[in-house]
Amino acid sequence: MVKTKAPSKKKQQKRGVDFKKIRRKIGRKLPPPQNATNTEIKSKAIILPEQSIASEKAGLAVSKKGLTLKELLQQTSHHNVKVRKDALIGIRDILLKFPAELKLHKLAVIEKLRERISDDDKLVREALYQLLKSVIFPGCKEDSKGPINSLMMTYIFNAMTHMAIEVRLMAFKFFDLLIQYFPSSFLLYAEKILQNYEDILQKNKFYLQDKGRLKNALAGLVRCLSLLPCSNQEEGDSLSYNDATRASLHAFDLDRSNKSTAVICFAGLSGVVNKLTDLLPVLVSCFQDFSPLIHSMAHLDAQSFDCMLFLLQSIDLVVRFFGHASGKNQDDFQNLPSAYQKNSPSRHGQSISAVTLKKLWDEFPLSPVHCLSEKDGDRYFMLNVVITEIFLQLSYGSELSPALLERFLEFIESSLSEKIFNGKEAGKVHHEKHLIPLVAFIPKIIMQVSDAWKSRILQAFTTVFQNCNPESPMKLTCLTAVEEMLLPEQNLEIFDDQITWIRELPNLLVLLGDKHPLHSKAVLRLQLRVGQAANLNSPLAKEYDNMQYIQHQQYTECDPTSGVWNKQYIIQDFYCTHLNGTVNYGPFMRLPRDIQELSVCCLYYFSFLDKVLLQSLASCCICHELEPFILSRIIEVFHSAYKAGHIQIADYISFFITLLSRFQVYPEKIYPTEKHEGKSNRGTFKSVVRAVCSCLSQIGDDVLVLQMLEKIVLDEISHKRPVDNMYGLIRLLITLDSKPTRLSEQTINRLSEVLPEYFLDVVNNIPEEDEESTKLLIRQTRHYYLLPCFFLFDRSNTLLNQILKVMESLMRRNVSSLLPHHKGVLGKDQSSRILSIVSVLLLMHGDLKMQKLLMPCKTEIRNILESMRTLESSEDIMMTIEERHQIRSACDRLTAAIISTLEYH
Amino acid sequence: MTDLELVIASSATDAGIGCWDLHTGAEHLRYRSCSSPSHGLTCVGGRFLASSQLRESKSSSSSILYWSWNKPQVEVKSFPAEPINPLVSNSDGTYIAGGGASGDIFLWQVATGKLLKKWHAHYRGVTCLLFNDDQSLLISGSEDGSVRVWVFDDLLRGKAKQPYEYSFSEHSLKVTDVVIGYGGANAIVVSASEDRTCKVWSLSRGKMLRNIVFPSIIDAIALDTGEDVFYAGGRDGKIYIAALNAVADPNNNFGLHILGCLSEQSKAITCLALSTDGDLLISGSEDGLVRVWNTKNHNIARIFRYAKGPVNNIVVIKQPSLLSTRGSVNAQVPSVKRHGVSLAPPLEKYANSADENDYKAVIGPRIDPDRSVEASYISIQTLNNQIIELQRQGSSASAEMEIERLKLDRSRSMQMILQWGKKFQSLHQFCVTELLDGEQAGNA
Repeated sequence: MVKTKAPSKKKQQKRGVDFKKIRRKIGRKLPPPQNATNTEIKSKAIILPEQSIASEKAGLAVSKKGLTLKELLQQTSHHNVKVRKDALIGIRDILLKFPAELKLHKLAVIEKLRERISDDDKLVREALYQLLKSVIFPGCKEDSKGPINSLMMTYIFNAMTHMAIEVRLMAFKFFDLLIQYFPSSFLLYAEKILQNYEDILQKNKFYLQDKGRLKNALAGLVRCLSLLPCSNQEEGDSLSYNDATRASLHAFDLDRSNKSTAVICFAGLSGVVNKLTDLLPVLVSCFQDFSPLIHSMAHLDAQSFDCMLFLLQSIDLVVRFFGHASGKNQDDFQNLPSAYQKNSPSRHGQSISAVTLKKLWDEFPLSPVHCLSEKDGDRYFMLNVVITEIFLQLSYGSELSPALLERFLEFIESSLSEKIFNGKEAGKVHHEKHLIPLVAFIPKIIMQVSDAWKSRILQAFTTVFQNCNPESPMKLTCLTAVEEMLLPEQNLEIFDDQITWIRELPNLLVLLGDKHPLHSKAVLRLQLRVGQAANLNSPLAKEYDNMQYIQHQQYTECDPTSGVWNKQYIIQDFYCTHLNGTVNYGPFMRLPRDIQELSVCCLYYFSFLDKVLLQSLASCCICHELEPFILSRIIEVFHSAYKAGHIQIADYISFFITLLSRFQVYPEKIYPTEKHEGKSNRGTFKSVVRAVCSCLSQIGDDVLVLQMLEKIVLDEISHKRPVDNMYGLIRLLITLDSKPTRLSEQTINRLSEVLPEYFLDVVNNIPEEDEESTKLLIRQTRHYYLLPCFFLFDRSNTLLNQILKVMESLMRRNVSSLLPHHKGVLGKDQSSRILSIVSVLLLMHGDLKMQKLLMPCKTEIRNILESMRTLESSEDIMMTIEERHQIRSACDRLTAAIISTLEYH
Repeated sequence: MTDLELVIASSATDAGIGCWDLHTGAEHLRYRSCSSPSHGLTCVGGRFLASSQLRESKSSSSSILYWSWNKPQVEVKSFPAEPINPLVSNSDGTYIAGGGASGDIFLWQVATGKLLKKWHAHYRGVTCLLFNDDQSLLISGSEDGSVRVWVFDDLLRGKAKQPYEYSFSEHSLKVTDVVIGYGGANAIVVSASEDRTCKVWSLSRGKMLRNIVFPSIIDAIALDTGEDVFYAGGRDGKIYIAALNAVADPNNNFGLHILGCLSEQSKAITCLALSTDGDLLISGSEDGLVRVWNTKNHNIARIFRYAKGPVNNIVVIKQPSLLSTRGSVNAQVPSVKRHGVSLAPPLEKYANSADENDYKAVIGPRIDPDRSVEASYISIQTLNNQIIELQRQGSSASAEMEIERLKLDRSRSMQMILQWGKKFQSLHQFCVTELLDGEQAGNA
């Protein structure tokens, strides 16, 4: 500052020299004194060369035009329309590019943007709509929605009452968008919103001449109304996921309280109810406005059709809400003070709807005057369906003129049966889709109409049920309807139709295969319900049992027109069928586990289980692919069914014996466990054996059961089954037998022939190994397989005696039979057989209890030793040195073991 | 006396009814000739034992038998119209309900033996019946897998709008056992079924709260007194402990919500009961043993040997005063005879519609043996009058009590106000003096 001052002083002085004459006027200010300090600051433009747009925003998120979010938000309230619009588009850019920005500044963004809801310019609002729809709402969906709701709603309401009709309509669109993403917001503001809708539909009708706008507004209304609590969306599955994971049952749970908010709102909804009652006539009159259109116009254009459809849907929803409310009335309104009760929706429902909707009935059925294309026909059909729905929704319990009822029933019947004659495929699917709601009403119709109508409608329904595609949603709806009509509580007296439906079930199960578990499940559920509900000796129960048998004649006459389902399946085909010795597994084997379980449960309710069905289930059971869980369920269910007298004892026993003898255990070699892809079903078989033994022993007194089973089991045993099956059968014997044995002498003789073979098989299947670690395990496994036989020996000494004799003769026979032919060549397997016999004996000897049992059989054992010695020492037989040594050492071991215990006791 | 509890067990084979003291293990009389179906044994109001009977053959008729405490022989035989499986009586012993094999439920009045009501309750045979803790609801389980809840009052008056209060039909197979917790009509119900599941239902909400899948079929359940867990006896011989209000370790080896199990190498568990204090769990099994478990440490406390055949019913009751110990049976019998109290009339086979509205006055048998059975008949009119009088008195009395209570409240509030007033005054005084003092000090 000092420097700059100095030159200016000099100039002044110079000037003073040039012009000496100084004229001083009076009143002029004195010049500043010489020593005055100049306080003026002068400078040229401030230039900061470093500051450029690019570098400053390096770290920030910017739009394409290089503006930050903050700047853009400021620009949204710019007075220039174009700037505002660009700003919105810019925001969209930023948020798309940097989703994190949205998370951080969500509320700030919304707070600023909401002001634009009532923007005067159409383009700006449109841009805002797009912005909210595509970016912001999807982005904040999972976050807490409370603040967003309230932030938006105030401005939306503002806009809804805006002067400009455009803005007002747009506001409804915004609202529609909002509840798409945050459905809960409707119930909070329901009253106000409905009021607004009513206003716009009623007072500003002339604005709505444009169908497109009307359509938009109505679409929003339909969405709103569908959020009203109504019977369709009842709390859903009775056991939600949350329940399953929650720890405590009694504690107050948030989930529940949330759910009850709906109810609370509902209780406080009396205002809404009033609003709806006001709205209903408005909707109806709106609809009426269209009716001249129908009569005059040659064909229905898409937009007016949509409008009409939306109107009808809204009416439907309102009526449904009333219906639901009156249904709920009993439960929920009980606890409310009487003031509410007076106002309860049911009364409204009854009174208004009857009067206002009468106009609607007058219009029905909407039929085109001129002949028209198929598409138009479909449209009229859809409208008619919705009207019928409204009618049915209302008609319960209330009195209506029979003529009116007649008209509707006529329509229902014709629309149900029409689809059969209406040829085209695409049309059919379309048609079916719209019929679904009607079909759901059929049980209720049937309960109310006269007999003549009942049979007509049932016939139409049955044809629909039989002819619709098994995989279609229509089938599911039909099944639910059938279930409702089948329960005997209804006392419908429609046995013929019921029988036809039941006959359809096995067919359906087979046709559905394993690709449509949802449908299969529904069918099986129905089957189960029928089975449970069938009273003994009622025609229903008979028909349920008949699912096991084929009925040709009735079926062919039942459905002559369509040749689609030629073959009538029976329930066996669902499980498994035998054809010329080959086994064809049905869909049962490949369905998910819960469905399998369901179908097994169905079996219990057959009052008589046919042999053929048992057979097919047995072949399912012995199949490897069946899960062990389902196998055990089948055994359990059969056990209960037997106890309830649904299976004959002979069938029951043969089922179990088949299971024991035919079950294929893999891997064949028990030890070492050769990896059979790491799997083995030996454990499964063990549990099967356990289950079978306990089931059979519960049939009755063991003595009698043994008498019955003895022969069959023995036959199976002498068929030389694999080791595991033999084990199972022997275990069955010992469970039923007692000490001393009750087996007949004949049985013992036969056992003594078979068992040595079994012993050798066991030893062969579980070869010895040299490793110390596995030795014990091998011993235990072998012991496990021999143990049931030890029990037999314990109970019958003669059996042991005989078996020892047989073993000796086995040894001897080899030698004697060999001698004449091959001059004494003892084959490899013979020598190994001898070794096996020795190890069996050693195993027996290893068991403490068996030691005692072996004591009386000294002579037999000595004989065995004797024959071994002769064999070993005989010169006639050629043996390799190793073999000879092995036999020798085995012989020594046996002698040592036996002498130590037997000889000196 | 109140602490003494008895364990009573019966079986499907003809092994009689075993009766033990729970805490000492002493065996009392064994009542003869009883072959009961599951859930077919009940103690009627502590006065006597009743059991439905299995039929030996198709031809013989079904029966319900009564035993008095002091005689091993059957005292009263009744022959209902169809075989009855489950039998239950309410806690006062005034009514007996039995479930038939066809799905009908019969309701008898004990004192008169009259069949009050018979209705078709289920599609298939009824398997279990029980009353809730305040006797206002009757709950039945059936072979068709449904559990239904009936309002007892509506049944008696016969003017129910809806046949049942709830019908839970989520079970896919026969219901084997049902238990109910405390809390009247807001209690929880636990049902077990042959589909290997137990389901917990809420009576207040009328829906299923929990579904627990077990590793085997559950034939018997017992609900813990605190309702934190319930015990489920399986066909595999184990007693599983399932969580209601406890947190289960999700990765244990039993399954979701199953906390653990009590097991001893036994055959299938067929019935379970808890002692009144909930410390002892009594289980009966197919092998004929009745085991008493300590629920705290999960050990076996005692074993009663019942018979060779399977046990299928266990009931725990307070020891009735009529029951004498073994030694003094002979001393007691004559006294009973002297009083001439017959147990109860046999149950009627069919409802007699003629005198349905004509209630007769009845005297229930006295439980107290010391007092003579002298009672005057009271006609129905006087009784009705008395009831009305009582109600009136009751209402006026309650109104008075309410007024009294309100008065008390008022006086208490008045006192409070006075106190507050005083406090305020003193506080005010204090502040004023303080201020004044301060000012004076300032001035000075």
